[in-house]
Amino acid sequence: MDFDFSDDQEQLRDAVRRWVDKAYGFERRRAIVAGGGFDRAAYGELAGLGLTALTVPEAHGGLGQGAVDAMVAMEELGRGIVLEPLAQTFIATGVLARCAADAVQAAWLPRIASGAALVVLAQQERKARYRLDVCESKAASAQVGYALTAHKNIVIAGDQADAWLVPAQLGGAIALFLVEKGASGVKTQGYGLQDGGRAAELQLTDAPATLVTQDGLAALELAQDIGIAASCAYAVGVMDQTVRLTADYLNQRRQFGVPIASFQALRHRMADMKMQLELARSMSYYASLKLGAPAQERRQALSRAKVQLGQSMRFVGQQSVQLHGGIGVTDEYIGSHYFKTLTQLEMTWGDTLHHLGEVSSRMQETAGVFA
Amino acid sequence: MDLAFTPEEQAFRDEVHGWVRAHLPPEISHKVHNALRLTRDDMQGWARILGKKGWLGYGWPREFGGPGWSAVQKHLFEEECALAGAPRIVPFGPVMVAPVIMAFGSPEQQRRFLPGIASGEVWWSQGYSEPGSGSDLASLKTRAVRQGDKYIVNGQKTWTTLGQYGEWMFNLVRTSTEGKPQTGISFLLLDMKSPGVTVRPIRLLDGECEVNEVFFDNVEVPAENLIGEENKGWNYAKFLLAHERTGIADVNRSKRELERLKRIAKREGLWDDLRFRDQIALLEVDIVALEMMVLRVLAAQKSGRNPLDIAGLLKIRGSEIQQRYAELMMLAAAPFALPLIHEAMDAGWQGDFPGGDAGLAPLASTYFNLRKTTIYGGSNEVQRNIVAQTVLG
Repeated sequence: MDFDFSDDQEQLRDAVRRWVDKAYGFERRRAIVAGGGFDRAAYGELAGLGLTALTVPEAHGGLGQGAVDAMVAMEELGRGIVLEPLAQTFIATGVLARCAADAVQAAWLPRIASGAALVVLAQQERKARYRLDVCESKAASAQVGYALTAHKNIVIAGDQADAWLVPAQLGGAIALFLVEKGASGVKTQGYGLQDGGRAAELQLTDAPATLVTQDGLAALELAQDIGIAASCAYAVGVMDQTVRLTADYLNQRRQFGVPIASFQALRHRMADMKMQLELARSMSYYASLKLGAPAQERRQALSRAKVQLGQSMRFVGQQSVQLHGGIGVTDEYIGSHYFKTLTQLEMTWGDTLHHLGEVSSRMQETAGVFA
Repeated sequence: MDLAFTPEEQAFRDEVHGWVRAHLPPEISHKVHNALRLTRDDMQGWARILGKKGWLGYGWPREFGGPGWSAVQKHLFEEECALAGAPRIVPFGPVMVAPVIMAFGSPEQQRRFLPGIASGEVWWSQGYSEPGSGSDLASLKTRAVRQGDKYIVNGQKTWTTLGQYGEWMFNLVRTSTEGKPQTGISFLLLDMKSPGVTVRPIRLLDGECEVNEVFFDNVEVPAENLIGEENKGWNYAKFLLAHERTGIADVNRSKRELERLKRIAKREGLWDDLRFRDQIALLEVDIVALEMMVLRVLAAQKSGRNPLDIAGLLKIRGSEIQQRYAELMMLAAAPFALPLIHEAMDAGWQGDFPGGDAGLAPLASTYFNLRKTTIYGGSNEVQRNIVAQTVLG
């Protein structure tokens, strides 16, 4: 049992933190949001830091690092509410490396590692809510490979991606495919999200596709769990910074002739925020450390983590706005953007109620809570 | 980072597991697993069994006859005891006063008091709170006046847990009214059989007498029973508080009680009631999160690299969780939690319980009893002040 970071991990943290502090300030972020919510140059800078290669196997030009390294990177990106979706890169990497044939891996992983290709998951459909097993998209065998017909919603950076991982029905089960930008029958329409990031509708009409795996549901569960772990880590960074911003504000804002940090009602709220932050951090560690466990155990653990994170994010976000008073609800203050990010994260990869249902239905009759 | 215990730690756990299961009397673990009333003999009996093995002072260093375990080993020991259904070790002797005697007592005091604590022969009580001094402990007024080679003690302590069994008592007493309140306090060991000591049990809302008032009327205490220096007692008390660390979260016991909650929910036909089941699931997540937080603190102690200042959080969260499982257990029993039959909480009771399941008898009692957890050991509001201090300065 060991919760220390290795020297390499500490160096990684420092490098990402320095980049966020120096290169991803509020002004640049604001410009990226105004420009649509995704900046390929910024994504390239993440690649320059080695982050897109972080979890790619060495055999495919990556650094071959694990979930804890990914967690460290995500925490630091969260601290600066960086919009470029590195979580999607970890998902694509994990799914391709674990589920795809060698040729597909060899074709895509090196390009993902270098940052040349952004590959994102396109799984959301209108009727699915947070369920992974609801999928109306259809795949059919074509002369070469497969042809997909699908309408996917809220695909992160969907009109900026170079390829999509798309689940679709094939012979009575969900399979996972890869569709490339520029293929025939592909249409995207981009838009902004509440957190300032970018998503798109993806419409496929008999679009040529490569099979990633027949066992699409297992791959989707893995994708979701990698996504949860990354979101948890990112959220810890966001909350850590939110608590810091709020503490600074309470110490600096004066009313009734004293800093408002002297009022016990506010101090106790701050203590409760710290509680939620540390519970969340604990469960973020748990999430990343359980990512390599067998599927059943992994699923249960990641849902537990998301239940904790969901509650923590809502509390920390809402209370931060409240403790800031009027300034907390303005667009010009950075804190409101942290709050919106936390809100969106709770509704990403399944909200608190959804995962509580997962935990509940998987609950063992014995204690079964041992880490 | 690694969630798994090392092979050595796992082997240690296995050893403790085997020993505890072999030596814990089944009639005692039956009581603990079913929240039945424990007698003084149950508690002290287990203490003596541990004492014989040398594990009652499980946090003690080797130089004082302890096993010299690491923080992780202590945690594993506590966990194995809790899961096996062992009574909680009454902490006042082995966990609380002993470390103070080791750190600040004279060699003579160490020779005199530590063996009786280590063996479980001598029952210790704690004399801290007073009627006018709860959260504001430093305002305590129990007076000890030096007269030659003894102190004359007058005043009153309260909330003295299990003080009705106490033989010795460690007390914070006022020896000076000069300067700040904290600087006039001394740490005094007192024989509870001394003339002038009166112990009056306080009946609590669950009908049990778990705590007491202790009155001192011109009690003579030999000056040799003073720990360390006069007027330095507050420092020793703070040292003692720092000693409590992760145990205060009581996560191991909560894990055991979560299992019991699930058993009760099943028996009451609630396992497939999703509204109730989701509440259990939420509690399970809370317990996993608390356990992870405890493990983080232990790991930090083990490596010494990144000390974590979150003890206040452990106390707050741990106590809230204890209250929650008790609440859910009581709610699970529906109106059958309501009959108040004191004898039904004794093991072996053969009477008729309304509805026929006497196992439900202690649930409301436990719920009422555990309201104490957010009050004692520094109320959760005081803990929040401490946590806020670390965030806001």
